[in-house]
Amino acid sequence: MDKYIRNIYKGVYTVLVGMRVTIRQFFEPNVTHQYPYQHDFEKKQNVREIPKGYRGQLYNRIEDCIGCKKCELICPVDCITITGDKLPKGEQLWDSMNVVHLKDGREVIGIIEGDDKKIMSEDSMTITNITTRLGSQEVIDRLEASGDESRTETFSTEEVSRVVTRNPVVFYLDQFDIDMSLCMYCGLCTEVCPTQCLVMKDSLEGIEYSSFDRTDLIFNFDKQEMYDKDEAENTEAAD
Amino acid sequence: MPEIFSEGFFPKINLQEGTNWATDFVRDVIIPRLPEAVAGHFPMELGTVLVMLAFAGIFVAVVPLLPLVLVLAERKVAARFQNRTGPMRVGPWGTLQTLADGIKLIFKEDYIPPQGDKLLFLLAPYIIFACSFAVFAAIPFGDGIPIPSDFNIGIFYIMAISSVIVMGVIMAGWSSNSKWSLLGSLRSAAQIVSYEIPLGLSILTVVMLVESLGMRDIVNSQSGGIFTWLIFRTPFTFIAFFIFFISSIAEVNRTPFDLPEAESEIVAGFHTEYSGMRFALFFIAEYANMFAVSAIGVTLFLGGWQGVLPGYDFLGGFPGFVIKTLGLVFMMMWLRWTLPRLRVDQLMNLCWKYFIPISFFNILGTGIWGLIFEKDDVWSIGISCAIIYVGLIGAYTVAGRNLVRKPEPQPS
Repeated sequence: MDKYIRNIYKGVYTVLVGMRVTIRQFFEPNVTHQYPYQHDFEKKQNVREIPKGYRGQLYNRIEDCIGCKKCELICPVDCITITGDKLPKGEQLWDSMNVVHLKDGREVIGIIEGDDKKIMSEDSMTITNITTRLGSQEVIDRLEASGDESRTETFSTEEVSRVVTRNPVVFYLDQFDIDMSLCMYCGLCTEVCPTQCLVMKDSLEGIEYSSFDRTDLIFNFDKQEMYDKDEAENTEAAD
Repeated sequence: MPEIFSEGFFPKINLQEGTNWATDFVRDVIIPRLPEAVAGHFPMELGTVLVMLAFAGIFVAVVPLLPLVLVLAERKVAARFQNRTGPMRVGPWGTLQTLADGIKLIFKEDYIPPQGDKLLFLLAPYIIFACSFAVFAAIPFGDGIPIPSDFNIGIFYIMAISSVIVMGVIMAGWSSNSKWSLLGSLRSAAQIVSYEIPLGLSILTVVMLVESLGMRDIVNSQSGGIFTWLIFRTPFTFIAFFIFFISSIAEVNRTPFDLPEAESEIVAGFHTEYSGMRFALFFIAEYANMFAVSAIGVTLFLGGWQGVLPGYDFLGGFPGFVIKTLGLVFMMMWLRWTLPRLRVDQLMNLCWKYFIPISFFNILGTGIWGLIFEKDDVWSIGISCAIIYVGLIGAYTVAGRNLVRKPEPQPS
């Protein structure tokens, strides 16, 4: 009889203990992340940031691409399609120029005054003949807003992160398509790229680019206007 | 002329006394609105039947909406217990999720297992559905709301009609020709038949105190505020309420008594082979049953539509009834997300070794209580509340210290 009552008491007691535990959880804030509608990864403690070197969407910076087709060759699933042609001998799209990467993420394309090799030792560098045609949109906007006709800017060496020399382009890229619905994210194409212009995005937009139509996953990186020489000359003449 | 057409074969409704609410409705509301030429010849019997049918139609239309709300509530409550949000996509905060699920179920293929018993397979969901709906016919929802069929044996009728559900369950399990279905239905039969005994014995304590089986009489006897609710009337009904509540959870096959549809053991139990609208019927019946059982608990023990204070509307009337019922439904969900599923032997152990003896003890105690005190004696209520209070406090302090000990470390 003693055991019987003890059993009843234990049963009721343990159920009540359990119910206390669950009702506490009932009033806890929820941890659900309404993922496609909310992108605030950093605000949620339970979601980690995207790690460096994450292999996301492929992106090709066509201005640096030399059309070597190494990526097309090495791709195991043949998701890259490149067609292009060499220009007639003696012709080139533009002259050799420098790309100055600034530490705040902007880049300026132009020709550095003076000797290229000494630039990092000096306090500041002056870039002339800044071209808006190939530069990033931010620089273009800034130059147009300032109304600077001389197309010359001076940056201190502390602002500059690195300087890349861009060789004269002697080819014409007709098509540079990457079908991301086929891509297996092996990253081989980025490894063989000699100019490091083909990269995999490790930012949020490199992860979320799903679509309802498969054809939306074919990304075209060719910029026809880049090769459109007549139009470029016209804009230069207008300037 | 056959006997069936003769005068007096069918019992006639007594129009003069007007004991039937539908007859009252026809006499007081419909006939004064009719043109005078028709009013004199209006058939009262036909009108009564039509009014009853119309009222039943309201129930048939409204009660399937209950699961729509309850399923969503269940999913939201379950999500809260697990720090989730539950369905969020369909409609604002996922409020249309169950509607979308229902539409999906309507359009699904209605598959009938070719090896099974086709007639029983088709019949089973309707039996369960009809029985769980028939329970609503005798539940008093509010003061001004007529009970569709106001028996003087209301609670007896509810017990009887809800027992028929077992038949539907066994039919579904047998006719599916599936081992999971058969196992589930056999478990369900064993469980429901067992737990009907403590359920009925707990109801019996209430019936002994009220001295009536009618649902309206039971509610009317609890009109004096919270302490005249039958749960506090005697210490024995206090225990009986919890036995009733736990048994009714077992009765509607919910966790922790969900052996008949244990997902991890027998897929989905007796409705494994069902799909489409027939599965939806099982689902609706399950949630309607859950609400019905809670409503019966509120009616019997928690005052029905009577308020907390006599003369005030707080927790009274139809809204109060629904709030109290949903409170019990929430308790069911709370228990579901607290306790794991019982084993079969534990299930039977709990019923036969604990609930049934305690229920008999309750009946004995209630009978003695009824002999000692007059009906509706204020002293009896005071003494009862004092005993319940002292008992709870005593259990919390004295027994808590003596009975629940941490296991002593075993010598190695």
